[in-house]
Amino acid sequence: MTWLLPLPLVPALAALACVLLRGGRATSAVLLAAVAACAAMAVALAGRVLAGGEILAAGDWLHADALSALVALVIGTIALASGWYGTHYMAVVVAHEREDGRWAPGRYEALFLGLVASLMLAAVANNLGLMWIAIEGGTLCSALLVGYYRRPGAVEAGWKYLLLGSVAISLALFATVLLYYSAGRASDESGRGLLWTVLRADGAALDPRFVKLAFIFALVGYGAKAGLAPMHSWLPDAYTQAPTPVAALMSTGFLAASLGALLRFHAVTAACVGEAWSGGLLALFGVLSIVMAVPFLLVQGEYKRLLAYSSIENAGLVALAVGLGTPLAAFAGLFHLCTQALAKSLAFMVGGTLGRGHGSRRMDHWSGVLASSPAMGTLLIGAGLGLAGLPPAATFASEWLTLAGGFASAHRSHALVALVAVGIVFMGLAFHFSRMAMGAKRDRFVDPLPPIARAPLWLLFAALFVLGVWLPAPLRALIEQAARVVHP
Amino acid sequence: MNLHLPDWLPRSNTVNLLAGAFLLSALYAAAQRRALAAVSAYRANSIALGLIALTVALATGARAIALAALFVIAAKGVAIPALLAKHARGRAGAVGAQPYVGVPAGMLICGALVVIAFSQTRALFGSGASILAACLPVSVATTLVGLFLMVSHRQALMQVVGLVIVENAIFLAAVSLTYGMPLVVEMGVLLDLLAGVALLGLFVARIEETTGDSDTTRLSSLKG
Repeated sequence: MTWLLPLPLVPALAALACVLLRGGRATSAVLLAAVAACAAMAVALAGRVLAGGEILAAGDWLHADALSALVALVIGTIALASGWYGTHYMAVVVAHEREDGRWAPGRYEALFLGLVASLMLAAVANNLGLMWIAIEGGTLCSALLVGYYRRPGAVEAGWKYLLLGSVAISLALFATVLLYYSAGRASDESGRGLLWTVLRADGAALDPRFVKLAFIFALVGYGAKAGLAPMHSWLPDAYTQAPTPVAALMSTGFLAASLGALLRFHAVTAACVGEAWSGGLLALFGVLSIVMAVPFLLVQGEYKRLLAYSSIENAGLVALAVGLGTPLAAFAGLFHLCTQALAKSLAFMVGGTLGRGHGSRRMDHWSGVLASSPAMGTLLIGAGLGLAGLPPAATFASEWLTLAGGFASAHRSHALVALVAVGIVFMGLAFHFSRMAMGAKRDRFVDPLPPIARAPLWLLFAALFVLGVWLPAPLRALIEQAARVVHP
Repeated sequence: MNLHLPDWLPRSNTVNLLAGAFLLSALYAAAQRRALAAVSAYRANSIALGLIALTVALATGARAIALAALFVIAAKGVAIPALLAKHARGRAGAVGAQPYVGVPAGMLICGALVVIAFSQTRALFGSGASILAACLPVSVATTLVGLFLMVSHRQALMQVVGLVIVENAIFLAAVSLTYGMPLVVEMGVLLDLLAGVALLGLFVARIEETTGDSDTTRLSSLKG
């Protein structure tokens, strides 16, 4: 059992089951069981990869190395947390907003699981065409979920997301075609020239002009999906309008899957023309994303938009770290991919509860949360520390290592710009979060969700702070091996 | 299995004529102000694409390419235009908001884009990069025309037509560079595109429902 095929298959079948069940208590149970199985299988897969190295399955169309296992682990963890939280959150939405939440029962669960299945497939696909299909499938599921609420803003966000996403994904398809062509196997009908493992092994034999062109198109296409500036314009709207559990999964799982796809193109390009060329582009767009997010983070009034811009900043940090081209930075970048996912999904879900409790999404309405609910206040502060990259949150370690790796690399100016930007972001986030948590108490906050809905939040909280002081040896080995995939 | 293309194919008038029809239908779509006419132009565009793939299949004798060509014609030549035409006949198809660029100026810009595409593609790929190198400049030119169609129109449905024309152009690039991708991948891609267009149609209908017409400039409430 290699866990490769069941990883996308189990959530896909569960999605089908949710469609057939048409709501009721059973759909929530199916969703919970499926995401728990996904998380467990992702852990099992990581164990297999650590013990036995690369795995190929399904006629070489699926494949797992440390990078796929790491991405699957991020998707699985966040799918479990946001799916679990989502069963309680969506029940409240349906009960309180009969106008907005009038979806056919079971449809939300089916689409959520469809999104998880697509992301998992994208993580373990070896065939680049299959990877494209998976990411496009995820886009379609998430576009429907972004348009969940029946209000003009949601229609606008869904439209922008779908249209911009479709253009971006078309460019990514072109990148895939170019890479296939560069392999010079146009006449080979079996299509082995689309397999990532084959492409990377034959890196030196590829036509460099087309590989470079393919990387540029992949950078625009998959970079747009990950939210790298300047292709990010859909992102704040989509994250704001999507229901909270979906936003949490999109901003972490989708980000990991599409960055993973982009890094696969980077690895092939590095094998063909050397790491400096595509790495330089990744670092450049990474810094651009970080810098672009800064002003919007400072003057933001709406909580979910704040997190959306933080997401752009974090995607930029990961791209920068991998692009810097030192082993330390590559390790730190992939570590940051995990830590920022914990912090950001925690922040989204805390915000979901606070927004429902206060009846507003504006941050100036959420004052003195710590006084009105010590538990939610603690979670909010934890999320704030995580996003700002303050110790003892794990994001401090990953950001610090990224910058340290940057100063040891050839791109010292990039690292310096990133350092200044991260510093300003820290001040902005500290201002927003301290005011929300500790400001004067204004509106009464009553948690509309049952206490058990906080359990996944506490788990994310614990993971975020444990990883800040102690990195378990297997996880460390996994990240090190994944770093060798993107930085050979 | 190795495919042997006969030497006559790149110089044959069949492929050149079909490529010409492909580009012209895209330009025709860009010159329209009514969505229904643009959808018809897209249908012609897709059928030209399918016929090019079919010609390649006949020349090489590869059954997989022929099958893919038939799927292209079924999905892009029949199903997607039918879906779009349904919306175009409704309110979305009426001459609504003016495009940002008038038709004469738009045609001038498209002409310039075609010239740029032809000169630059030759410079990059050379003239003998692929046996079907004739199609590649057409594909790049059509991509640019489709993108121009998207950015120059305010009507939601016209933007969708621009998008599907861009997708056709990328399919043409795939056909001319690699004779298409493996059949399973090709089918998955087509299925995704079909679902994507169905979804876009759904959003077009909801834009009409919430704003009263399909002018996308009214979708500007989210900022910051």
